[in-house]
Amino acid sequence: MAARPVLRLPHPVLTTPSTAIGPVDDEAAALGRDLVDTMRASPACVGLAAPQIGVGRRAFAVDVTGHRKARSCHGLFVLFDPVVLSAGEVELGREGCMSVPDLTGDVARPTSLVVAGTGLLGEAVRLEVDAFEARAVQHELDHLDGLVFLDRVRGPHALFARKVYR
Amino acid sequence: MPRFSLSAVGVDRPGIVAAVSGALAGLGGNLEDSTMTFLQGQFAILLVVETAPHVTTSMLEGALVPAADRFDLVVTVRALDDQNVSSAASVEGDGGTPWTIAVHGADRTGIVHGVTSALADAGGNVVDLSTHLVGAPEAPMYVMTLRVTLPGHPDPEAAAERVRASAEALGVHCSVRPDDADTL
Repeated sequence: MAARPVLRLPHPVLTTPSTAIGPVDDEAAALGRDLVDTMRASPACVGLAAPQIGVGRRAFAVDVTGHRKARSCHGLFVLFDPVVLSAGEVELGREGCMSVPDLTGDVARPTSLVVAGTGLLGEAVRLEVDAFEARAVQHELDHLDGLVFLDRVRGPHALFARKVYR
Repeated sequence: MPRFSLSAVGVDRPGIVAAVSGALAGLGGNLEDSTMTFLQGQFAILLVVETAPHVTTSMLEGALVPAADRFDLVVTVRALDDQNVSSAASVEGDGGTPWTIAVHGADRTGIVHGVTSALADAGGNVVDLSTHLVGAPEAPMYVMTLRVTLPGHPDPEAAAERVRASAEALGVHCSVRPDDADTL
């Protein structure tokens, strides 16, 4: 268990689709714990995907506890091999990413989501998320498909320079 | 009513827009569409202005001299007439399918040219574009976002694939997707 360095674009692992975890073994469990440790060690980080710590596997951690934009909140969770079961209406929102520290952008995403996968202990997980938590989940899901928020930004004037990570 | 395109570029400081727009207002100018933006310490203005009937190109250029001198601006003015006005006066007036293209990767020369050449070869038209050079000086990253149309293209997905391939050949990542509907 350890906080690991967070990779930045243009590192190729961030633009390569990840492979499935499958049955949760010791290696997967350790990956989950590293995701949590790295997220906790990173200021203002509400989600982190395995590719961001250099591992091209379908796993991410999310925790939107205490975020002012959060409505649903499942606290800290790790999800392996997540799939979206259903998605609701779309809304624009500003996003940033530790792997793209110099920019933020406006991205349209569904404001409600049902996502399923496997948890840290190998248990089946099904989550209904909305608002900021839904946005965080979809942002991390994109990482597992080799996408970053830059690939979904609304248009040429929806990208903004960022000087401070807060 | 006469209309003109105008561009002005100079080192950024407060007062440029006020001075330029003031010169236009003095000639009865109605500032129509514009883009004015800060770029690495420069301020760039691009606009279309409709003026009072008697205004000529040289009158407009003359009215802008004080602002140009005060702010050390490079100014160009061009009268718009039937010969130099696009028939696609509105953003998607050419009837094409709007797409958004996002390109990002390690910075190198040729990214804008390579991707937009492939787009032009596929019959696409850039309607809006921005680029950002970010990251550490020793490892700069380039981000380019375009809004484009593919007017009357029989196979938009094939055109999109050509654009993606051009980016891949340059070693950068590219996503091409149909634009979201205006109503979310």
